Amino acid sequence: MGQAGNDLSVKELIVKYPDYPRITIIKLDTAYRGVQVTAAAVAQAEQDGAIFRAPEAKEDDKGEGELVFGGAQFRDGSIVRGLEDSISVKKYHLQRIGNPYTLDIVDGKAWLLDGEKKVEPVFFTPVPQFYGKTTSRGIPMNKVVRGSSNVLGINVYNYCYFWKHKLACQYCGSVQNFTTKNETHTEASLQDIYETVNEALKEQGRWTSFAFIVGSDPQGERPYDREVEEIIKVSRTLQRVFGKRPFPLRLISSAVPQDQLLRYRDAGVTAIEPHLEVWDKQLFNIICPGKAKFFGWDYWVNNAIAGVEVFGRGNVCSQFVCGAELSQPHGFKDEEAALRSNFEGAAFFARHGVTTSANILRLAQGSLFYAQKQKHPSLEYVIRLTKGLHDIRRQYHLGVDCNDFKRCGIHPDTDLARLFNHEVEV
Amino acid sequence: MSVLSPEVKALLKDPDVFKVLATVDDKGHPHVVFKNHKIDLLDDGTIVYAEVIESSHTNSNLIHSLWFDKHVAITVKGRDGTSYQIKGKVERYDFVSNLFREYYRKLRARKGPDSELSGLWYIRPESVKDETPSVRRAEEDTKHPFFRHLDRELVAA
Ligand code: SF4
Repeated sequence: MGQAGNDLSVKELIVKYPDYPRITIIKLDTAYRGVQVTAAAVAQAEQDGAIFRAPEAKEDDKGEGELVFGGAQFRDGSIVRGLEDSISVKKYHLQRIGNPYTLDIVDGKAWLLDGEKKVEPVFFTPVPQFYGKTTSRGIPMNKVVRGSSNVLGINVYNYCYFWKHKLACQYCGSVQNFTTKNETHTEASLQDIYETVNEALKEQGRWTSFAFIVGSDPQGERPYDREVEEIIKVSRTLQRVFGKRPFPLRLISSAVPQDQLLRYRDAGVTAIEPHLEVWDKQLFNIICPGKAKFFGWDYWVNNAIAGVEVFGRGNVCSQFVCGAELSQPHGFKDEEAALRSNFEGAAFFARHGVTTSANILRLAQGSLFYAQKQKHPSLEYVIRLTKGLHDIRRQYHLGVDCNDFKRCGIHPDTDLARLFNHEVEV
Repeated sequence: MSVLSPEVKALLKDPDVFKVLATVDDKGHPHVVFKNHKIDLLDDGTIVYAEVIESSHTNSNLIHSLWFDKHVAITVKGRDGTSYQIKGKVERYDFVSNLFREYYRKLRARKGPDSELSGLWYIRPESVKDETPSVRRAEEDTKHPFFRHLDRELVAA
């Protein structure tokens, strides 16, 4: 990416790593450089049903929920990253590197361009059909449940205690998302979810699972009690929709004691993601001070392992923020040592049936890393790390169904899991 | 222009003829499976393969082919023994388009509401070879007469 001035270009990386998909390398590059969408492409996206404008939205409205862009996919079905601040809701500013790509229409087809050069054809993702409808009390359904390519996402708890108490993870830029609301669900808000999910399911062949996104809140009589209760309320609401039939639901939430995990399972949860974020213990303490305080590295690691007993192999996923371990002055100075640390963590987890995913570090305004002017990892580092995580997963025949290219789409290492899904053991 | 003749097109569109899909994984292991009604042809000459098992070996191999630019082969065999092998490249995996939805609906209509469709693979045919046994034998006799057993010459025509 040229930050250090001597990093390899995308073209050079494609040649150097012939067993790493070219499209995934381009996807990584779009995540860092960003993608600008031309007016012609917006018009085409609109025609393809990939843009939703709330009735009250103005032409140039970028307010929350008013204009939603369904995004685009590459030929392999993976999402085009870097579109966050293109035409959709602008939640926070990401530091970009180099010139952005362009999404334009060439000879009637949507293309990703680098300057004038055609890089890859892309395909718009339609927005969910339930967008534009309202619940019985008049709440716009697009504000209740978010539909991405294949997943229905619900923000169960929009509050992160760590942000409020200056203990936020140093890379996290979700300050607006997780500090503005500290509300718990009411009967009415649960009914909104119930009605929206029922409406969403009318769109046949679209959704394969649910994801709950939950801010960390360690408060309560027992660790993270408040968060647990909110999760259970919402998952019980989904159980009302499905009756006795199981449905795939993953939680992106905090580490909680095993008896709480059993309650989750009874309430319909099928996979959990208690993200450790950084494997090296000392760096974890520095980079994730909230998680370190409530209740430490061992607590988060042990919770993930305990989760496998409840949810099964591959249904517990811990995330590493790929590149956070290189932050200075405390992080690794040597990339080889950083890779070794990540691989040691992934192998340890894999031995216990816990799968890992790499969330590549992007510097977001509002985060401490952004203020500190930390650097993004090089593309080559990301390629080596994510390939290594994939190789470890494959060595252990460990799946990552709950967090793969369809169920999430932002993790290059879990994109690669498509190569060996047939070898997975549960 | 399409490399597919009208006869090959008709076979690809016929849900009841034998259709075999051959793919290779990233370790070089071949995987060959009957896919009959799951293989279809679009009007623009693109072959569609409808995958119903997301974690299938075929699915892994097809993404390997798309990512690393490898060929796949499809053999079709008509009721009269006519047989063709088509080689092509995997162009796209699709699970969100209107066409995907159409196939999803059709599948459910045919197989019941509990049927699954993981995605559609679009394959661009690059070459076709007539593999009908009588055609292949005649071709071999003409091109490689040294490969024939002599006693066959004594067989009355
Ligand atoms: S990444 Fe850390 S600070 Fe940000 S919302 Fe999650 S737990 Fe809170």
